[in-house]
Amino acid sequence: MAPGESQSIESATATIRPDNKTRRYDRQLRLWAATGQAALESCRILALSASATSTSILKNLVLPGIGHFTILDPTVTSGADAGNNFFLDGPNSIGKLRASEAVPLLCELNDGVEGRADTRSVQEVLEQDPSFFLSFTVIIAHNLASPVLNKLSALLWSNESAPALIVVRSSGFLSEFFIQFHEHDIIESHSESAPSLRIDSPFQSLLDDALAVDLANMDITDHGHVPFVLILVRAMHDWKKEHGGNPPKTYEEKQDFKDTLGLMKRKPDEENFDEALAQAYRAWTPTAVPSDLIKLFAALPDPLSSSAPPFSHLLLALKKFTEQHDGHLPVAGKVPDMKADTKQYVALQRLYRAQAAADAVAYRALLDPAACVPDDVVDLFLKNAHAVRRLQGAQWGTLDRDPTKLAESLDMFPKETATHLALAALAAWQTMHPQPPEPGVNEVRPSAEELSGLAARLLPADVELPEKEAGDAIGEIARAPSADLPNVAAFLGGLVAQEAIKMITKQYVPVNGYCVADLVETWTSTLAP
Amino acid sequence: RSTHARAILGPELFDQLANIKVLLVGAGGIGCELLKNIVLTGFGNITLLDLDTIDLSNLNRQFLFRKKDVKQSKAMVAARTAASFNPNVCITPIHGNIKDPQYDLAWYSHFDLVLNALDNLDARRHVNKMCMAGNIPLVESGTAGYLGQVQPLLKDRTECFDCIPKPTPKTFPVCTIRSTPSQPIHCIVWAKSYLMSQLFGEDEEELSNELDEALKAGENVQEINTLRKEALAFREVRQALRSADQASGAARLVFEKVYDRDIRNLLSMEDMWRFRDKPIPLNFDSIKKDTFLLRGQKASEAAVATKSAPAAANGNATTNGTTESAKLKDQRSLSLRDNWEIFVSSTEKLAIRLQSGEETISFDKDDDDTLSFVTAAANLRSAAYGIAGKSRWELLMRAAEMAGNIIPAIATTNAIVSGLIVLQALHILRKSYDRLRNVHIQFKPAVPLSAVIVSSPNRQCGVCREAYGLLRCDPARTTLGSVIEAVVAKTRWGGDGTDVDIEMDEVVVNTFEGQRLLSDPDFDDNLERTLESLGVTRGRFLSIQDEDSVFQPISLAIAPLPEDHPANGPAFVLPSPMPIPARRPPKPKEPTPLPAAVRTPPRHSLKRAAPDDDDVETMQPAKKVAKGTLPGTPSKRRQLEHDGVVVLDAEGEVVDDD
Repeated sequence: MAPGESQSIESATATIRPDNKTRRYDRQLRLWAATGQAALESCRILALSASATSTSILKNLVLPGIGHFTILDPTVTSGADAGNNFFLDGPNSIGKLRASEAVPLLCELNDGVEGRADTRSVQEVLEQDPSFFLSFTVIIAHNLASPVLNKLSALLWSNESAPALIVVRSSGFLSEFFIQFHEHDIIESHSESAPSLRIDSPFQSLLDDALAVDLANMDITDHGHVPFVLILVRAMHDWKKEHGGNPPKTYEEKQDFKDTLGLMKRKPDEENFDEALAQAYRAWTPTAVPSDLIKLFAALPDPLSSSAPPFSHLLLALKKFTEQHDGHLPVAGKVPDMKADTKQYVALQRLYRAQAAADAVAYRALLDPAACVPDDVVDLFLKNAHAVRRLQGAQWGTLDRDPTKLAESLDMFPKETATHLALAALAAWQTMHPQPPEPGVNEVRPSAEELSGLAARLLPADVELPEKEAGDAIGEIARAPSADLPNVAAFLGGLVAQEAIKMITKQYVPVNGYCVADLVETWTSTLAP
Repeated sequence: RSTHARAILGPELFDQLANIKVLLVGAGGIGCELLKNIVLTGFGNITLLDLDTIDLSNLNRQFLFRKKDVKQSKAMVAARTAASFNPNVCITPIHGNIKDPQYDLAWYSHFDLVLNALDNLDARRHVNKMCMAGNIPLVESGTAGYLGQVQPLLKDRTECFDCIPKPTPKTFPVCTIRSTPSQPIHCIVWAKSYLMSQLFGEDEEELSNELDEALKAGENVQEINTLRKEALAFREVRQALRSADQASGAARLVFEKVYDRDIRNLLSMEDMWRFRDKPIPLNFDSIKKDTFLLRGQKASEAAVATKSAPAAANGNATTNGTTESAKLKDQRSLSLRDNWEIFVSSTEKLAIRLQSGEETISFDKDDDDTLSFVTAAANLRSAAYGIAGKSRWELLMRAAEMAGNIIPAIATTNAIVSGLIVLQALHILRKSYDRLRNVHIQFKPAVPLSAVIVSSPNRQCGVCREAYGLLRCDPARTTLGSVIEAVVAKTRWGGDGTDVDIEMDEVVVNTFEGQRLLSDPDFDDNLERTLESLGVTRGRFLSIQDEDSVFQPISLAIAPLPEDHPANGPAFVLPSPMPIPARRPPKPKEPTPLPAAVRTPPRHSLKRAAPDDDDVETMQPAKKVAKGTLPGTPSKRRQLEHDGVVVLDAEGEVVDDD
């Protein structure tokens, strides 16, 4: 809000007393804002079981306020379920359908969320009603039997607009998950890198302002409040004048530059000059298009059809903009906190905002009007242009069908890959030995040898399983293959729900690959998809 | 029903769980998740403690609570919800403050395991100290947005929470807060910690008693009288706030006292303003009529640049990516007139609450009335003092964030952390110490967890390296001198007798309560006083340190005498066996000297201590014996602090106020 522009008391107090929904979601709105919340509230989640892990994941999606969830699960609650699943009604649920028992308890967590129990089997729906799956935003499959999972994954992979599929496998303390998607575009990556302030190559108004600062004749208080950005722009301008137009290049030159900054101080405690020293590298590091963006530019189809995704059009316009502007991205218009008095800070802020507005006009002129990208999306894109991301996904199981790639992975990440193989071997074994309904009761367990044999089958004939790593993982699984532990479920519940939220809100960068976790040794790692 | 857990934990550990007594401190975001997990895992005996009540903004993650539970005790509701899941588990909920004296070392020693699910540094450090003193395994945890941490803490085996010094929240000198604020944060602390408690806090008689006590204890008469005058002036206002017929005028009374009379009073001290800008008294009626001019601007027009100068002032870095959205939400600006209106309406609302039975109201970031009051009160003070700008003053709506440290919080991170906490706890119970890890949940998408092997204790740690014991006593009958005499006589310094260079009968000691010096060989005034009169009572520690700091201090936790102790028996019972203080390791090289402390101008009549320091974490003057040193090395200039009142050796001496 501009100075002098006052708010009405109603809207001012409204910020203190927000509505109940805002208050309820206050702590998460601070992370993903209203846009992320709106995406959550309009999404539909499908979980393919009501296991302890599935309900833990759902709990963490219902609490932040997704629009809808369905549990598709035909199984009847066992004693073991009742003991490890908080979202069943204890012993009262035994003998009743798991999905129908869990849905009302999950719905209790948030009356803004709609939940539905569907007691058909995945197999049945795949055969009779496959379009059912397409009505969801994200599908979560925990310990789903391989044959059905493969069918589902193929169905979803065949359609580019099909929902993302999150495959979760867990056994005892070991687990992994994988998100199947074709392409995932992220405008708000919430990157930790800040957009360039263009200190090295100031735009005209920034340079003018920096040169207009009369450091020599300034009041001592004001001198201690000149924003570091202006100090650096000014110092670099002077440096270049004396060095044939070049910034400092060698270590010695950089030190010299810093020394000149130090000499500009009039009092030892001028924090703005300390900031300038700490940020001096920004003055000699050339602003360039980030390498991730260059790769994305290169991958754009040429020419781009009007019906291509809006994100592609936004990227193409960005590419053109950088070509026309010396490799500079549009100015983002955001100024970080710094030591300055209000007047000088606000002036600096205005300067960047004005340049951002001018760049935005130039950018929009480059955007294909036929792509019809909404204005607010363009604005958001411009604010985040330096850190936008486009992930290329893969189909579930691609890695397991590629023995050479598995062998390479095993070579580079032995324990992570061995854990993945052990879980894959268990899935293969379970396909051959369908389990009785009650885990632990009359349970036929795979032997470590059987699991090793199945794991080795995925590898090229001449590659052996690493003894220690594979032995540990397979031993752990053979001990209690079907154990769905509450703490592992809680852990996966948090981790997987978090990734689902990233996919749904299209904010933050999700895991791309097989995220393997060993909670005996407490580590996680991601294998390439 | 326990098939899964039994299969994986093994029957032995699983059966043991039913008898493990676990203390869970906190029933918030992590606490709810953790309670569910330990109930499901099979822990049979759980004590759950939390001092908070449920707020609407908790419901996005604290899943044991429903809308209908808002305003009820978190501990009670969480226990009820979780217990219904497993009838075999015994959950004892406590609606209380973990720092209360009855939760002393003897109480802690009932537990086999402590799990922290706290949200503040102070309580974390407190529980850590108790667990170190009682040698009870502790799993510490915390989350902020997407980030989280789990840390198993075992005395002598791993680091304790204080082995690595934590950045302490910035503290401010009392005068800065009370008389000469120069930053918005000063005004917020004033509104939150001082004004709130003066108006809505504990009974003024208690404050007055405290002053009587301080006087009896020989504190400076002049200082006390100044404070008493101030307390009297608040009496009228407090009464008005509590009587129905005056409530509508109460806001005016408060306003006129703190923004007009108090400021005029300060202005009369010419000396104070020689190097400072003078504050401007605010006028209730002319702001109301919008005829008030503040540095040339009308009350309804003075609004705001949103430069967040003090963004980092409270030392709490916000998680990256959150600051921007938080700013958008909270940085709207209000005019002087807006603040006046909010001040009046929130004061009236708080007054109505007092009249309808609430005895005291303290600041709570989730309590809208207090948040509005503190925001408006702080903004008005900023306005009066012309803070952040000469011609145009700015008002920050970030008060909430600065005063309450609102940190983003989501269900997912809490779920991850709570799962990890129990897994670490199981490693401890199974004695698989090689599997203990400090686990961080990080921002990197490809590696959600980073786990590091736990470190050994820091040999210089001032918490976990001390020798602890229980001093059962009647503090009203036990003198400091008698304890010192008995302890010195019974202690085997260094333990194994190899420390021949110390003659046992030559050991002389300094004693402390916290950082407060009680006695040293040259300062024996307190030796005849009782522990009670010295404030060394149940729940506190009496630390005894050999004068040359050759050995670690002995810290004795004050506990009641055993119930079967004869009435005419001795006033105290030493721990048996006596704790054996180890030899201190050689000091590492001196830390780099801190920048010269800013010295306050020579004392003026407004220099005074805060009687309510215990409530005001951010206003603790001269409490540290000497900056950066352990209690064993008091500075030459003795700063003795009792009941929050600072006594100086020499009149007119310059004090390091920060």
